[in-house]
Formats: sequence, structure tokens, C-alpha cells
Amino acid sequence: MKRKLGALVTGFALTASLLAGCGNSNANDPNTITFWTPLTGEDGAYMDNLVKAYNDTNPAVKVKHVVTADMYTKISTVLSSGKGVPDLAIIHADRVPGYVKQNQLEAMTTVMQAQPELKEDNFLPQAWGAGNIDGTQYTIPLDIHANVMYYNKDLLAKYGAESFLDDNNVTVDEILSLKGKLDEGDYVVNDALLGWAMLGQIQNLNGDIQKDGKPAVDTPEMKTAIEDVKKINDAGLMTPFGEDGYLMFQSGNVLFSTDGTWSSTAHASVENLNFGVTNVYSVSPDKFTNRSSSHLFAMFNNEKRLDEKEKGIASFLEFIRANSVEWAKAGQIPASKQVVDSPEFSEYMQSFFTKDEKEIESLYIYTYEYYPYIAEAVDKYVGDLVRGNLPIDEGLKTMQKEVEDKIAESNGAAAKSGE
Amino acid sequence: MKKKLNLAPVFFVGPHLILFLVFVVIPTIYGIYASFTQWNLAGSPNWVGFSNYSTILFDTTSTFHTQFFNGLKNTLLFVLFTVPPLIVLPLMIAVALSHKKLKGKTFIQSVLYVPGLISISASALIFTLIFNKQLGITGNVFGSTIAWATHQPYAWITIILLTIWGGIGGNMIIYRASISGVSEELYESAELDGAGPIRKFFSITLPSINFPLIYTFVMTTAGAFNVFGQPLMMTDGGPQQSTSVLMMYIRQLAFGSGESIAGMASAMAVLLGLVILVISALQYYVMNRNAN
Repeated sequence: MKRKLGALVTGFALTASLLAGCGNSNANDPNTITFWTPLTGEDGAYMDNLVKAYNDTNPAVKVKHVVTADMYTKISTVLSSGKGVPDLAIIHADRVPGYVKQNQLEAMTTVMQAQPELKEDNFLPQAWGAGNIDGTQYTIPLDIHANVMYYNKDLLAKYGAESFLDDNNVTVDEILSLKGKLDEGDYVVNDALLGWAMLGQIQNLNGDIQKDGKPAVDTPEMKTAIEDVKKINDAGLMTPFGEDGYLMFQSGNVLFSTDGTWSSTAHASVENLNFGVTNVYSVSPDKFTNRSSSHLFAMFNNEKRLDEKEKGIASFLEFIRANSVEWAKAGQIPASKQVVDSPEFSEYMQSFFTKDEKEIESLYIYTYEYYPYIAEAVDKYVGDLVRGNLPIDEGLKTMQKEVEDKIAESNGAAAKSGE
Repeated sequence: MKKKLNLAPVFFVGPHLILFLVFVVIPTIYGIYASFTQWNLAGSPNWVGFSNYSTILFDTTSTFHTQFFNGLKNTLLFVLFTVPPLIVLPLMIAVALSHKKLKGKTFIQSVLYVPGLISISASALIFTLIFNKQLGITGNVFGSTIAWATHQPYAWITIILLTIWGGIGGNMIIYRASISGVSEELYESAELDGAGPIRKFFSITLPSINFPLIYTFVMTTAGAFNVFGQPLMMTDGGPQQSTSVLMMYIRQLAFGSGESIAGMASAMAVLLGLVILVISALQYYVMNRNAN
């Protein structure tokens, strides 16, 4: 009987230890800062380099970088259970209002006190501002990553379109002027990151995605933006629907590609692709906007995070502020002014966007609380709207309703959480 | 005399029972509870009774109603397109492989089985490249000028081909094993009575593998209802949401980039679960009755 009981206990203990193994044993280690990032691509390796360089300085508390696939889902899981919450994480700018509303982020106050150079003046304004809610700073920015427009220098010369770049604002009208002038198989622009390009046009038309806190998708500005970009498609100047426009740019068949700052490294690896970068095309001759986001350092609420660790985090973030030129290798624009102003950074292609105040201003980050719902709707419908597969009025109405329905649900849940 | 307590069965079943409770029963019960709430995964759920269900099923103006029925329609289409081939093709292959004179059986079996071992995302990447107009075989070898992922019916064709390619091996192995268990004597007697191959298949093979057939039919159907990876990777739900399956909407509501709408997503998941339950029960009932 005793033996049987013993076996039973062993069985349960084994199962329990198996389950316990699912937890994150590093999270409560006082000598390690557990640092989660969603950097599953090549950029994760550059972050590894930065973390390694920091750890080589022999800090009191070392940093352990954990690239976490599907990080936001895992964050909600660990926050619900309160176990295994990382000490530090990188989140995207559009996540900040939601997390702050749910009271899940710890303010950076003590971190900023520990390292006085971690202050507003030392960072690009929109990157810093993305983490500021009602006067409280919740994040320290790492970078700005923007929707930009690459151009093929050889094709611009071939079609006599180099003058488009004169004022750094390639307008839709200029693009349309190439109608009927291209060889078969060549196109002026692709549809990479079309949703971002469209959200940039809203700013170019002095519109917004919200009015008095309410979502504004079905607006005259959005309609004008879609109608104008649709003209490029209707003129046969946009890469055909469903085709890999990004690849077509790399294979030298497209004059302009509206993808991200981070693509510069991939484009550079293509043999014989002679390319440069400029602002995303604009429906307005007076204004250009590069819809952007930002990677931000944030601390999720965790009572077990000791003061020593917060000091360690501060010292790591100060190291990043001073040394993040390494991050430019990933194609990103570091948020630190010290890095951006350095001669080393000026050698990177994306320094084009920090060369003067006007360019810096063009990097626009939406901070509206419900921006993620709007971005989801725009991404889902904009392709079909620009390609003429869906009537614009009907599409805009559907998008507006979809966003409103989601907000209503989210408010219902938040009403309870706020009790 | 007091009966001696026998703990041996508990020891064997216990670990499985614990895992089953932790990973299946408790989450299912909590999921059903969440479907009666508005919940953002962060705070405590807000009880709203049947409101989510009435919105999904009856409020025709609601986005969630539109999403649910569009997702369910596309999921049903996927089931209709993929389940019959995933039963018939493996069965035909298994029967062909059971032929005595066939050589290289193990090799053919391995070739057909290996795709099932590859993850859906990896397989989808391979298929995306095959159907890529610039880089793929379809464009370069067969001269196709179609952008497959964004035009119907081609979008469905890519998804179905990927699913059949990856799913054929699993059922085939089950049929192979069951067919090899059928007594040779039955076939020999049938031959003596003058039965041809078709007659033998319908009168001996099929009735003999009745249970594996029911099992694979029910499991393949339930699996097909839970489709997610193939349309997500191959078409991203397009063109115009015509391949957006229910699991994609559920996932985006619960784990999209905005604040989670987990209550509504749970209600959709429960409804999908009910559909699967009813259809599986019907399949089992009909097939079992016919078999008896």
C-alpha cells in the first residue's frame, strides 16, 4: 500500500514539475533583467548585439534578451496570471494607450530619475510623445520605423522622372504624368504597405482618424485619399493586384516602392539594384507624411521587480540611448538625438528622414487610443477599394461600422475593469 | 472485510487526467463562461448574459454578425472542398498500395506521408512560392498569368491543394493498417465466387474497415472546421474576405492588434464548437446506422 502511495505521489510530482517547467524561471532572478521583444526577424540579431555589448560592460544586473514570437498574446497571459512577467519589454507605439488604460504599464519615473539623460530633450519628439499619456511617461523610445518610398535610380533616369524628387514630394499628379510612357511590364509604384501609405495621406489632407475622441474613418479626407490613389491604379501605373510588388521593385520593374525603412538592408543585398529613398508619395503638393511607428521600452506591472532591477534597466536604457547606432543597421531610425546627430548615422540611408526639421516632422505616429482597430480596418479594405473591387462609399461605411462596433465592445469590457 | 483500495489504475490515468483537466476541461469551461461576458483579457469579465449570442445570431447590422456568418460560410466551403478528397484519395491510395504485385510500397507511402510532418506555415511558404507569378513554377513553367492568391476560384484552389497535399498521408496510414488486417481468406473466397476488384472493394474492404472510416471521417471533418493556418498564410482571407474562415475572425477579435474583444470571440468559438459537435454526432450516427 505504502509503495502504491509512493508511486502515486511520484506520478503527481512528475506531472506537477512538468507543468511548473512551463513557467519562466528567469523572471524572478534578481541578477538578470528579463527583456522580451517581438523582434523575430533579422532585427533580433542586432538587438542581441546591443545586449551583448551592454553585458560586456559588466553591469551589476545583466540583461537577458528573449525574442518572443507572438509576444502580445504571451504578455496578456503572464499579466493575467501575474507570473513570469518580463522586467522589460519592447512594445509598439500603438499599444501604449490600450495598456495604460488597462493600468498594465509602470511609469518610467524612477528609471528617468536614476538616469537623468533619459529625458524628452534627448529623443525625437514623436517617439518620446508616443509614450506620454496625460503627462506621465510610460516608455523610453528605441526607434522610429517609418513607411518610406524607395526609388529605382536607373528607371527614374530612363523615364526622365528624376525631377519628381526635386522638392522631396512626389505627388500623385507627377506619378500620373507617366501614363502611357512605360514599357510593358514596368510600373510606377507598387502597393506595399498600402494601408500605411493611405493613413499618411489623411495627414497630407489635414484630416485625422478621430474627432473628439470618436473614430473617423468614413471622412471626406479618407475618400479623397482613396480616390486619388485609385487614379494611379486605374491608369495602369500600379503593380497588378495580388502580384508581389516588393519583389517587382527588387527585380527592377518598378520606379517606386512604398515599404518600410527596415527594407533598405534587403534592397541593398540585391545585385544591380541602384536605389535611393524619399518620402511616400502625396496627394497634396504642399505636404508629405511618412506614417510611422516606434519601438518603445516599457515595464509591465510587476510587484516583484526590485528597485535594483529598475536601476539596472535605467542603466541599460542609457547605454542604448548612447550606443544605438548599431540599431541603424537593422534599417531603423534610432530615437536618440545623440545617435541621430552623429556622423556615423549620416552614413545610413534612413538618415534622410532626420536631415532637417521638416523631414523629422513628416514621421507621423498616430496616438489615438483606438488606432489599432482603425489600422486593422484600413489594412483589410484599402486594397479592394483602391483596386475598384468594392465601391468606396460602401467600403468606408463598413470600415466605420466595424471600428465603432469593436470600440463599443471594448468600452463595455473596460467599464467593468475600471470599477 | 474492508475492500482493499486499488490505486494502480489511478496512477496510470492520473497524469493524463490532470493534463486533460488543466488543458482541456478548465479552459473550455472558462471559454464558455467568457462567451457570456464582455472581456478584454485584462480586467475582470463583465457579465452580459446572452447578449453576445443574440448580437452574433440576430443583429444583422452588427459587424460581428456579418463576420460570423461570412466566416462560417467560408469554413463550410472549406469542409466541403477538402473532406471528401481527404477520405476518398487516401482510401484509393491505400487500396492500390495493398496490391500484392506492387513494388516500392514503403517508398510511395513515405513520399505521401512526409508532407503531413511539415508544419502548415512551412508548407504554406513553399506553396506560396510555387504559385508566385514571378518566381513560381505555375508562372515560369506553365505560363500562368494569374495572381492566384487574389483571384477566385484560384485562391480556394491553392488552399485546397495545400490541405490535400499535407493531409493525405495521415488517413492513408490508418486505411493501410486496417486493410492489412482484413483476412486474405475473404478475398480468396470472393475470387472463387467470381468477384472482381470493384465488387471485392465494396463488399469486403469497405465493410471491414468500417470503424476506421467513421473515425477518419469524423476527425477530418472536425479538423477541417478548425482551419486557420492555410487561408491565413496563403490568401490572408482575400480576395474580399472570400477565404476568411471563422477561426481567423475569432483570432483577430481575441488577439488582434487592438484591445481584445475576447467575450465576442469566445461566443463565436462556442457556436463553432456546437456546429462541429452536431455535425460530428450526425456523421457518427448516420455512418454507424448504415454499418449496422
